[in-house]
Amino acid sequence: MRERSGAVDRLTAPVRAVAQRIAVPFLIVLSMMFIVLGKADVLLFNRLRVIVVDATAPVLQAVSQPAATVASGVRYVEDLFVVYRDNQRLREENGRLLQWQDAARRLQAENAELRKLTKFQAPADARYISAQVIANSGGAFARNVLVNIGLRDEVVRGQAAVTGEGLVGRVAEVGERASRILLLTDLNSHIPVMLDGSRERAVMAGDNSDQPRLLYLPATVPVKPGDRIVTAGSGGVFPPGLPVGVVASIDSGIVRIEPFAELARLEIVEVVDFGLGGVLPQSQIPPPRAAKGARVVDPADVTR
Amino acid sequence: MGLAVFQREAGGFPNTLIPLVSTLVFVLLSVVPLQIPGFAVVTPAFALMAVYHWTIYRPELLSPLAVFIAGLLLDFLNGTQYVGTSALSLLLVRSALLSQRTFFANRPFPMLWAGFLLTAVAVIAFEWALVSAFLRSAVGTRPFIFEAVLTVASFPVGSYVLTRLQRGFLVRA
Repeated sequence: MRERSGAVDRLTAPVRAVAQRIAVPFLIVLSMMFIVLGKADVLLFNRLRVIVVDATAPVLQAVSQPAATVASGVRYVEDLFVVYRDNQRLREENGRLLQWQDAARRLQAENAELRKLTKFQAPADARYISAQVIANSGGAFARNVLVNIGLRDEVVRGQAAVTGEGLVGRVAEVGERASRILLLTDLNSHIPVMLDGSRERAVMAGDNSDQPRLLYLPATVPVKPGDRIVTAGSGGVFPPGLPVGVVASIDSGIVRIEPFAELARLEIVEVVDFGLGGVLPQSQIPPPRAAKGARVVDPADVTR
Repeated sequence: MGLAVFQREAGGFPNTLIPLVSTLVFVLLSVVPLQIPGFAVVTPAFALMAVYHWTIYRPELLSPLAVFIAGLLLDFLNGTQYVGTSALSLLLVRSALLSQRTFFANRPFPMLWAGFLLTAVAVIAFEWALVSAFLRSAVGTRPFIFEAVLTVASFPVGSYVLTRLQRGFLVRA
């Protein structure tokens, strides 16, 4: 056994020596080709990505489970220390909310009456699918998370992902059992929004920082920190009025938004089917043009 | 002990398996959301640690092809549009370290850590430059600096695990 492998070694040694010498340059060139190809053939790489994500999803879920368990254990102990203060705060908040509930009930009744009068067509009821975050790209390249639901849970590309606080992003890729959610903060995220007060339209564009920017807001529109931002509903992807965030800062004309949802700490998100179907299927998306670099213009992002 | 004997009998085949598998697992760890309570989800670049470790201690066991595959897997999981960037940077790290490895091997841990700091800073700066080049505008440096600090800070953990694996499972060459 040993002798034979020795003989084989002698025979293959020169070949292997050459292979070893060219392996590194070859692979480096191959990676560069991939980078270029990835830009040229978005579809192929999207498909590959979905395959890889689907294949690794069970492993990712298994690994992320203990990490989440440890974190929630620590949080439980932490919570014990603040339980008194929290209780106090919640009681006050509850009082305030009861008043709001009152107001909401009155408005609901009034709304129903008015709708009857105007024969208003109510939008279809939204369907929520809860999902666990199993991976977080965290890298500086992209802001997205993988969740453990996919085609078999009837997730469709373009659906909104929300938490109790507000909008998180939208479903960008769907595999059989896992999907990728593009966060609001990603470079490729462009969402039609409006100022809650003045109903002025703008586009919220991510730039991989924690606070996305507002684009195309007319300069004459008054805006100040603390203003609420909600989805505008144009583009037929998100329904109007989903809470998004508040204006965090206005610095030399750049308006930055602090999202309501804690994007850095996502554990559970809800993928919502609003029955809008405003996103084109992947196959109808033209490849990105060379101009302006990396922006893959997704119909889900199209504004106006 | 028993495993070591088995490995020798089997011609040391699992020897190459341990660096490969540990590197792939570290790639997965790079994207798993690790929650630090009271703090954001952190995702240090564990994959870089694995490549750094094995290139310095047992470069013959982690082939360029393995590094390439690990990089591709990382890119696919990260969801970056530029599949190949991590593969490229990890391959470059491997090549750069190979010439310096005798300097780092068998040195005390702080030296190893300092070497990793330089490597991580170089890699993350390289990634920043790449992204900026792709987008044709300088992107914000904050996320990159954060990533670098986090990765360097978590190096002792990754290094400890890899050293245990190396001592526990690998037959001495």
